[in-house]
Amino acid sequence: MAGSALRRLMAEYKQLTINPPEGIIAGPVNEENFFEWEALITGPEGTCFEGGIFPAKLIFPPDYPLSPPKMQFICEMFHPNIYADGRVCISILHAPGDDPMGYESSAERWSPVQSVEKILLSVVSMLAEPNDESGANVDAAKMWREDREQFNKIAEQLVRKTLGLPPP
Amino acid sequence: MPVALVDRLPLPNLKVYTAGSVLLLSVAVFHAVSVTSDPNWRAHTSLQRQKVMAGEGDADVVKVMQEVRTSSLNMSTNGTRNLTEQFVEVMTFMMQEPLCMWTVINIAYCGLALFGFVVQRLVFGRLRVAEAQRVKDKLWNFVFYKFIFVFGVLNVQYMDEVLLWCTWFTLLGFLHLLAQLCKDRFEYLSSSPNTWWWAHARLLGLLCFIQVACCCLLAGAVLAGLPATRDTFAFMAAECALVVVGALHVAARYVLQAASVDAAEPLAYYTHLCFDSVALGVELAHVVHMVVYSNMLVSMASLVLLMQLRHLLHALQARLRRHRLYTALASHMSRNYPMASKEEVEKNQDNCAICWEPMKEARKLPCSHLFHNSCLCQWVQQDASCPTCRRALDAGAGAGAGAGAQGAAAGAGAGALRLLDDGPPPPPPRHPGQLFHFDACAHVAVWGAPPPDAGRRHMESDRLALLYLSRRSRYVSWLPSFSVEVTRVRMEPLAGSQIDAMVRQVQAMFPQYGAGVLAAELAHTRSAALTIDNILEGRLPPPPPPTPAPTPPGLYTPLQQLLTVHSGRSEWSQGESLLKNKTPTCIVFTRMPNV
Repeated sequence: MAGSALRRLMAEYKQLTINPPEGIIAGPVNEENFFEWEALITGPEGTCFEGGIFPAKLIFPPDYPLSPPKMQFICEMFHPNIYADGRVCISILHAPGDDPMGYESSAERWSPVQSVEKILLSVVSMLAEPNDESGANVDAAKMWREDREQFNKIAEQLVRKTLGLPPP
Repeated sequence: MPVALVDRLPLPNLKVYTAGSVLLLSVAVFHAVSVTSDPNWRAHTSLQRQKVMAGEGDADVVKVMQEVRTSSLNMSTNGTRNLTEQFVEVMTFMMQEPLCMWTVINIAYCGLALFGFVVQRLVFGRLRVAEAQRVKDKLWNFVFYKFIFVFGVLNVQYMDEVLLWCTWFTLLGFLHLLAQLCKDRFEYLSSSPNTWWWAHARLLGLLCFIQVACCCLLAGAVLAGLPATRDTFAFMAAECALVVVGALHVAARYVLQAASVDAAEPLAYYTHLCFDSVALGVELAHVVHMVVYSNMLVSMASLVLLMQLRHLLHALQARLRRHRLYTALASHMSRNYPMASKEEVEKNQDNCAICWEPMKEARKLPCSHLFHNSCLCQWVQQDASCPTCRRALDAGAGAGAGAGAQGAAAGAGAGALRLLDDGPPPPPPRHPGQLFHFDACAHVAVWGAPPPDAGRRHMESDRLALLYLSRRSRYVSWLPSFSVEVTRVRMEPLAGSQIDAMVRQVQAMFPQYGAGVLAAELAHTRSAALTIDNILEGRLPPPPPPTPAPTPPGLYTPLQQLLTVHSGRSEWSQGESLLKNKTPTCIVFTRMPNV
């Protein structure tokens, strides 16, 4: 079980190093343990998160890729689809069996065909286009909908924070 | 919980313990040497003993004195003693003197601890936290369990018997712990990317050592146990057999891994099945034997034994169920998803989309996607759809008709049956009104999950909540960390105002339900949250087509508020349909072709 998970993770790591997608760096925290990864995601251009570099960690289950990894941002985030503790709420990270929100069809949930790269790409697109219908962070969702200017201001502050710049 | 208690005890570390033991031993040896340097020491000691025993019988004492004198004269005529004789004398003295004997026993334990330490350094290096914890748990539970065995089941009366059993269980426990460590380390090594061959070689070497040592112990059991009673021999042999089976299982997993046999293949599966059932069978027989032997139905020991028996029976049952699911799944796979022909496999250039490895042979789904047999087998247990195109697989999805029902019972919806992973099966779903919550290991006890209306049925009776807190390890699961909590909620009729308040609360979410219906339901459930659950899960008959009633603005739940604001509608029923039709989950990912 763990052996095939390991081989698959190594294959994914190899692919990500040889052919990295734009704006994404990911790899195991240390080469001793391939089941814990760190990723750096650059905020997509033309959005309020532009220019930021957001660190996140991914924890893989021993039966990966049958079960999805868990993903959590390890920097402060303010986004409708990111919980206060940094956990990311996107449908492809939900295992086919469980349904935390109660309204996802199985088709958009995790499948072994997904990969780290695809997860990270969909997180980037989530940063670009929040989905305010799923309230992982209700305050952020509300602000995103009603007070976009304030939202952008907070996002800009977060971006500066991730870059180690003082607030403007 | 003895384990937690022991953690708090200030146990000395190995260095201090060794130093102390060696010091004690040297003091004892010095004492022995100084006593035995007198050639007449035997006479003196036996004289003292005789004196004590003879008491006031003066005539006896005189007689003994004479005997002793003659014997000591004989000894002194021998002249100077050589070194070996002196050593033998020292040893005999130490064996006779209780205090010296205890120091010798202590040094033996110390030697074993040092040996264990050396083995740990040589084979395992630094123990990982989880491994150390497992070993600690196992050790204290082993000690507790054997204590029960010696004093509860065997009912040993004499000190020397206790000592013999202690020695036996010390050696056995040592091997047990080493086998456990081997198992944990094997699991770690097999999921670790860069392991060197010598790590595996050392582990295999240790496994061999465990086998050999167990065989020695078994020989000891034959020599010491058979002459005593057949029961004693059976007890000793069963313990040995358990360790041997455990160690062989790890070795077999090594062989399987070396031959790169996948976990889902029949060969690997039946090997595991064999080992599991042998281990369970031996243990079951052992426990039954103990219960029969102890012959005391009402005692603490038999209570503990019966609890273990129950746990073992459940484990056996779970194993059998897993086996039935496996066979059902295998037949389902071979019936519905044929193996792809050679041309199809060759034509398909892609790797298996699940493990990303090339395919030599593959199974074909109705949607003509190809996967490895074992990969597909594991996925189908989780979800009955094609991983690539997400097309739902046909009826009886999961593991065939028979297993389907059990799959539903296990609460793993959509035929998601997880039977092959080594961890415990998922706990049954927590029903909102379900009064029996079992965690971790106790899952087996309520495997047949409650029928859908169990929640309501139980609510009508007294409320009784049982909390079984247990951990996964074999002994821990039934022994000390077992706590039962019983709470009883008395049923008092609710005041009308309370019900009214709750009706309003529920109606804020579900305006389509009439106040009367809700009041009746609330009188049953006695809780707004439970009623809401019942409505959401369709246990409450839906009302006639809703008459639009605007919800009071102050009572929105955040989600509902979010929905209504978004859709510009103010009705929950429409909000609900919105939920169903649109998929409000964050990002819907467009699936890429299988590259």
